[in-house]
Amino acid sequence: MLATVNSTLLSIAEVASAIAAGESLFLAGSHEALRQLPQGNWVGGTIPYFMTEEGGLVSEDRIFVTKVPEIALDAKVADYGPDNLADLYRDAPANGFTFLVLPAATEVHKTFAERAQSYEGFLLRPVVGWIAGVRVDRIGKEASAVFNGRTGKSFDTRGVALHVALPANKVVNLKIVNIFESGGGNLIRFEEAGFRVSKCLVDGKPANLAEYIAGNGIATEFPLVGDYNGSTINVSFQAVDAAAGTVDLYAPVFPGVDYHFAKPVEDYAAAFGKAIAVEEDRPTFACNCILNFLYGKLEGKTTGPITGPITFGEIAHMLLNQTMAQLYLLDVG
Amino acid sequence: MLPAATHRVWSEIATGKRPIRSDNLALNLLVKSNHMSFERDPSQANVLQLAAKTYKFFVQYEKFFASEFDKILA
Repeated sequence: MLATVNSTLLSIAEVASAIAAGESLFLAGSHEALRQLPQGNWVGGTIPYFMTEEGGLVSEDRIFVTKVPEIALDAKVADYGPDNLADLYRDAPANGFTFLVLPAATEVHKTFAERAQSYEGFLLRPVVGWIAGVRVDRIGKEASAVFNGRTGKSFDTRGVALHVALPANKVVNLKIVNIFESGGGNLIRFEEAGFRVSKCLVDGKPANLAEYIAGNGIATEFPLVGDYNGSTINVSFQAVDAAAGTVDLYAPVFPGVDYHFAKPVEDYAAAFGKAIAVEEDRPTFACNCILNFLYGKLEGKTTGPITGPITFGEIAHMLLNQTMAQLYLLDVG
Repeated sequence: MLPAATHRVWSEIATGKRPIRSDNLALNLLVKSNHMSFERDPSQANVLQLAAKTYKFFVQYEKFFASEFDKILA
């Protein structure tokens, strides 16, 4: 049913050996760890947070490795800036998927978040991945980066991709595990897309979102949840400036989507454990959000058997927040 | 076997006239993105474009959705 699972946390030397052996790899680790790797068929992004079978942990000297499954026909490395991001879908294989990692708070991150849905090939060429980051105590002091292992170059303004072609008997299914659901209450809508918002409609009436949040004592560690035909897509809060009347978000909101404030979650580890328990198989790749790690105090706590990097944003077709993104490769006969 | 690209079912899915309930992320994103586009631009030209996009999606994932087709397209 499921392709080989081969995701694990390894030492720099072990990863270097796998690269030297010709493996195609999707990597997550600290800048210091990734910069020591030899050139080869790999891409990676900076992040020192991981979910392991023993629990959430922080490591700057180990690298989370996802090996491209042996059944893959091809794995090509490429890098993209905001100017040629639409080429991501043109370069992707007709049957397969693309691993993508983008540096946080950059133009290419913003472009993907706002425009991916308009690119030719969106949904037809599945894209899975994450947003690179840094230790939270170094935000603003250090830039996140991504690495093109083929050229040995690192970037803090471009994204890197690994395009993986699969045989015709395999199909890609990207899934999400979202522990948040609508808390009911007022319907929030927006007339403009963006990461920074001020105006919104609350139950159809014009309002200022920052004032609404302050006036209603809303806890912003829980996201806005958008209804995408039954799939719940989160938008997390970065900052609320009541004086300026602005709200900064970790993903854009879009006109035409119904949003609600999420129902508060008390125990993140238990909520993930419960959501993951219903999964029959383990994914080929997964990542989870740094906000879940921080707000849920997941360091040292297990969230089920699924492992992967803990990131500054997740990608499953589109940019996600406070969500576990998962890649499954299924047999279709 | 999928209906032909010109069948009205594709424009009905695209415009929301034929609702689809699924737990598949890609399908739900497609449906939502179609509805958002149709809300912005309900012209016949856009409906044809959205119907073509919907057809392409189902062709791409035909094997994956094989067991659900009867339910989706009923």
